[in-house]
Amino acid sequence: MTTEPASLSLTELASAIANKKISSREATQSCLGRIARLQPRLNAFMVVEAEEALQAADAADAALAKGARSGALHGVPLAHKDMYYETGKISTCGSAIRRDFVASTTSTAVQRLRDAGAIRLGTLQMAEFAYGPTGHNAHFGPVRNPWNCDHITGGSSSGSGAAVAARLIFASLGSDTGGSIRMPAHFCGVTGLKTTVGLVSRAGAMPLSQSLDTVGPLARTAEDCALLTGLIAGLDPRDPTTRDAPVPDYLAATQGAVNGLTIGVPSAYYVDDLDADVGRALGDTIATLTREGARVVRVALPEQGPITAAAQIVLAVEAAGFHARWMKERPQDYGPQVLMRLQNALAIPALTYLEALRWRGVALAAHLRAVSGVDAIVAPGAPVPAPTIVESDVGNQPGAEAVIQRLSRFTRPINYLGLPSLSVPAGFSGAGLPIGMQLIGRPFDEATILRIGGAFQRATDFHARRPSLA
Amino acid sequence: MAVPDDRAPSPEDVVVLARAAGLPVDETEAARIAASIGPALRGFGAVAGTLPFDLEPATFVSVQNGAKP
Repeated sequence: MTTEPASLSLTELASAIANKKISSREATQSCLGRIARLQPRLNAFMVVEAEEALQAADAADAALAKGARSGALHGVPLAHKDMYYETGKISTCGSAIRRDFVASTTSTAVQRLRDAGAIRLGTLQMAEFAYGPTGHNAHFGPVRNPWNCDHITGGSSSGSGAAVAARLIFASLGSDTGGSIRMPAHFCGVTGLKTTVGLVSRAGAMPLSQSLDTVGPLARTAEDCALLTGLIAGLDPRDPTTRDAPVPDYLAATQGAVNGLTIGVPSAYYVDDLDADVGRALGDTIATLTREGARVVRVALPEQGPITAAAQIVLAVEAAGFHARWMKERPQDYGPQVLMRLQNALAIPALTYLEALRWRGVALAAHLRAVSGVDAIVAPGAPVPAPTIVESDVGNQPGAEAVIQRLSRFTRPINYLGLPSLSVPAGFSGAGLPIGMQLIGRPFDEATILRIGGAFQRATDFHARRPSLA
Repeated sequence: MAVPDDRAPSPEDVVVLARAAGLPVDETEAARIAASIGPALRGFGAVAGTLPFDLEPATFVSVQNGAKP
């Protein structure tokens, strides 16, 4: 076959393998070749398991030759953020503390992808314990943005964003507690889906905040995200917080048009203090959606300040709750910024934390009343394109928290409200850095935002552009 | 929305809270923590202390599934 595998999307590759137009070995070798060439510049991978992956690819090819196809991802090589446990494998969680941690269980999300035929290529870099929005990592170094290696990828799913953007892999699981899928998607020019709290099992995934953590994919297209989400979503006895409801046909949803849909643009907060290029991209996105047949209207959302404050309070306390023992016994083994952020919880009274949790339903109800006339909201993923690694390397200096909060300003409220949000590439800055837009839906209505994302990507080509190094 | 200044902990408050949590911090760390988390506590100040009695954390799941609180 003459088609370069890296030029294919996940869904195209899965189809090509199923139809024997390309072998799993060819796809895997292609990824490995690109990783060998670009990993020294990007630092996107934590571990590459070349031999094991090629053996698994050969086994997948042999099975297919006998007519045995395991599922929708038969023979597709994938790699995930290094916080998804796989029995017998090291899962560092981006930390020194877990540098040698060998998991004794396999995460449900990864198991479901494996059951569908996916092959493990290795693991991807991430912010230490998924607690950082930039892509810096004090132990393993920063992951570099494929569009400009002097700039950050965003975090905490930093390796996932960089690896998908650079075509090292076709898709990856990330996690999103305060924006950790959507920020790398925004900064790296890939598509990422933060799922509704309760849609995807978190069993066997490293916890950061039991109230806010979500599992979801980063990939090149909305269609790819739909394919993966359809495979990993649904009730899991190992995670009783998952919802017991049928999983919609997300792939079919991506084929719908936006004609007849009403999409809201927030009248404040998400449109305030935007970098000029981000503001222009938002305007262009609105124009595209309108041209495609959507009705776009202004929406007055409830004040976002208390919502984002509540998100910060819940995240800080729950993260510190998980880390309390290591904070006592091994504080020296944390990176300075992560320890600083964990220590922030020490100033939050238990009463305030509980009130922040109790208010969540009230805040969600107020949001749903405000958006009752629209099918989804469109808003930027972040107020700026990717800053440089140097200017965002704030460590634990005074003011570091303010830098962190600014980057995640448009993503944190969505986690507190537990809503689904699809980040789609929607433009580029004058300096050639990607800009993403969030499509924010109602609880468990991933289908509508995937429908909008699919239609948007048929009308634009931002998702198909490749960094020059890739 | 009102932003009560007294919601933000002083460094002295942080020293006491951290000691109570079994994770003592020095004065410099306490000052840094107070400055870092103060804006969030002030931002939540308009909600804190206003919630009705008959409201449980599970309200969130109910609203997710269509209930009105």
